[in-house]
Amino acid sequence: MEQTAAFQDDRLNLALNRALTGDAQGFADLVREHQGMVFSIAYHFLQDRSLAEDLAQEVFLELFQSLDRIQSPAHLTYWLRRVTANRCIDQGRKKHRRREMALEEAPEPTTASPHADPMLLERLQQSMATLPEKQRLVVIMRFQEGLGPAEIAEVLEMPVNTVKSTLHRSLADLRKGLTRKIREVRYAFF
Amino acid sequence: MHFSEDDLREALKRKDPGEGFTQRTIARVNQARVNQAQVSQSKSESKPEPAKKNNGAFLVWWMHRPVWTIAVVAMLLLAFGIGGYQYSEYRHAVEMRLARQRQQQLQQEAERARDQAIMALEIARAKMNHVLQHAQLQAEPNDKIRRQRL
Repeated sequence: MEQTAAFQDDRLNLALNRALTGDAQGFADLVREHQGMVFSIAYHFLQDRSLAEDLAQEVFLELFQSLDRIQSPAHLTYWLRRVTANRCIDQGRKKHRRREMALEEAPEPTTASPHADPMLLERLQQSMATLPEKQRLVVIMRFQEGLGPAEIAEVLEMPVNTVKSTLHRSLADLRKGLTRKIREVRYAFF
Repeated sequence: MHFSEDDLREALKRKDPGEGFTQRTIARVNQARVNQAQVSQSKSESKPEPAKKNNGAFLVWWMHRPVWTIAVVAMLLLAFGIGGYQYSEYRHAVEMRLARQRQQQLQQEAERARDQAIMALEIARAKMNHVLQHAQLQAEPNDKIRRQRL
């Protein structure tokens, strides 16, 4: 396991160095390595596939322009998370201003693992959209990226205690939202 | 309905952006690079700028931090508001002081005029007394003669 991580780190280091020298293939490797992370943060935040792809591309474009400031693969990951989070907040506000219902806004059907309830996962994704921006980002960083409160605090420029309380509140809100949804469904049926 | 943290992890697991994402991104980066090169070429062909400023990066920094921007604008507005209020208070105090000074000056002039008028009346009274005394002295021998005749 450790060997795999070290190998991946070496590979990223190599790709970063190649990208820094202007090698397009090196930059493409960096994009390929991090596209899932950047796209998923944007997708879970915006719940819109095309907007998320556009945002992810903008993030990589910004990365290309600021590549000389990246010091290491770890710094690159941190930088990408931070820029994506900032852009998500900006995009979320723009989207809020001109709210349009696109087909893509419907949550993507989840490919759940065998033990997970697909309906629950879909409801969870829908409930995520009802959370305020900062709360949504904290939850994404915690449960998508698996970051600890201190790391989230660093990425989102928030105090650690605020991250902890936000996380606590977000989970409570999600639970409340899910319960309300279930009640609505019950009333609709009975 | 209850959910565990694992459910949330499952709901928020990383998603694949789909095939061709890397190619589309690289194409976009290349396009941006070409555009940038064209812009810098056209800039170098046009007249040279005296000093290159980094306003763009500065603006981007502020655009990415709307909360900071709002806070700074609010602080500036507050500072201007307080400054304006203080200045108007200062102007009001100065005007009041000038008005008080003007009033005091007028009062002093009035008192001086009153004193001068009183002094003039005193002088006139003294002169009248003096004239009256003279007149009485001149009239006194004639009276004695009249009384003797009677």
